Amino acid sequence: MTRKADVVVIGGGVIGTAVAYYLSKRGKKVMVTERYDHASGASGSCDQMIILQSKNPGIHLKLALASGEMYQTLARELEYDIEYHNRGGMILIENESELKIMEDFVARQKQIGLQVEILERKDAAKLQRGLAEHLVGSTYSPQDAHVNSIRLNLGFARAATKLGAEILLETEVTGIILKGDQVEGVETTQGPIHAPVVINAAGAWAPQIGRMVGLDIPIKPRRGQIIITEPVPPYVTGDVLSAQYIVAKYNPDLIKNSESRAIQLGVGLALSQTEKGNILIGATREFVGYDVKTTREGIKEILKNATRLVPGLKEINFIRTMGGLRPYTPDGLPLLGPVKGLEGFIMAAGHEGDGIALAPVTGKIIADLVMDGKTFMDVEALNPNRFAPGS
Amino acid sequence: MSDATDKVYICRCEEVTKEEIEQAIREGATTLTGIKKRTHAGMGLCQGRTCRKLISGMLAGKKEPAEIIPPTSRPPVRTAKISEFVEEDEV
Repeated sequence: MTRKADVVVIGGGVIGTAVAYYLSKRGKKVMVTERYDHASGASGSCDQMIILQSKNPGIHLKLALASGEMYQTLARELEYDIEYHNRGGMILIENESELKIMEDFVARQKQIGLQVEILERKDAAKLQRGLAEHLVGSTYSPQDAHVNSIRLNLGFARAATKLGAEILLETEVTGIILKGDQVEGVETTQGPIHAPVVINAAGAWAPQIGRMVGLDIPIKPRRGQIIITEPVPPYVTGDVLSAQYIVAKYNPDLIKNSESRAIQLGVGLALSQTEKGNILIGATREFVGYDVKTTREGIKEILKNATRLVPGLKEINFIRTMGGLRPYTPDGLPLLGPVKGLEGFIMAAGHEGDGIALAPVTGKIIADLVMDGKTFMDVEALNPNRFAPGS
Repeated sequence: MSDATDKVYICRCEEVTKEEIEQAIREGATTLTGIKKRTHAGMGLCQGRTCRKLISGMLAGKKEPAEIIPPTSRPPVRTAKISEFVEEDEV
């Protein structure tokens, strides 16, 4: 059977379904292909943060601010409970050198319009119980929030379907149909789909799709291990990160030669509590190919780090662990927009650990680019051609 | 009959009803993991020990038993206190 659509989206995770939703809203006939099921990749194995203050001051933070605003009305718009809560967030600071880095980070974020401040330890302790004595303080932003990533994924999928999108689960793309330099659709395990626009929203697997059309996409899978506790009464107020995480994320060279296993595994605190009361404790950032297994060493280093910063967690039981692959890019920014020399082929991947925070704004930007050829903000820095030789 | 007696609970930890699981199957779930993601069944304290078989049975109507992919079992296999895990080699 031959199917026809205006747009094919490859990937049924949060990014793919967000793109499908915003395109359907603007009247396009969209088909989504998903190799397994929704939330089977990073969207179903991540923490739940919509944390704005972890974003580099610049386009990264501008994207997050725009997305954060869209989130405030998203549940109503999707008519689906995505368990969104705007409870603020903090980044724990352990020593004077981290404090210096964070003061500079916060000052630059304020200039872009984020509400964020630095708190002394005693004020931080009023917001979050169980903190370690040695902390020198924390940052705080009331704009941080969190969401249930699986429900977000299902919510986008349901809303897109209501608007006429078709989602083909257990359908794997096996090739891209080309006529010269023009995309004409995709071949799948369920037969071909003809469409003049194909969007690669395959996350950590986007390079495999790229190879089908001779593209070398510089996305690499980066494993994040996360621990889930039993449900407990409200304990973690908002999103809690450590400054160490920010340093590891944006200054990888500073830690390249470290002998600490925790640092080699990229361990940085990421703490939040779900609506049901489970605490999510993260995370590692490791390059181990496509291996999603959790490791005893990784889990142990995460817990050691978490209890060093928040000793109050020690008495809680954990019931589950999970590993997910974040789509890493060399400059920490996603690849969004049309690919040069391949008419109709559009990238929407490479969000690393920010896919949940940036899903709504990504969906809107891609829909705008497909419909109007431009969008509400300057996204040149996200141009997928920026890594091509000679660019 | 009242609502309470009409409901058949499949996953007691997370209080997921038979009807909710049937709805998830209608929405495209074909695996235990798919059911888990849509309903939370199997994600509670016992981690699916009681409901896994019942849900496999409900899915069997849709697929060949051999095709039903078991869910990933995620360590720890029993609940563990964080302090015990962190301090085990520090004693």
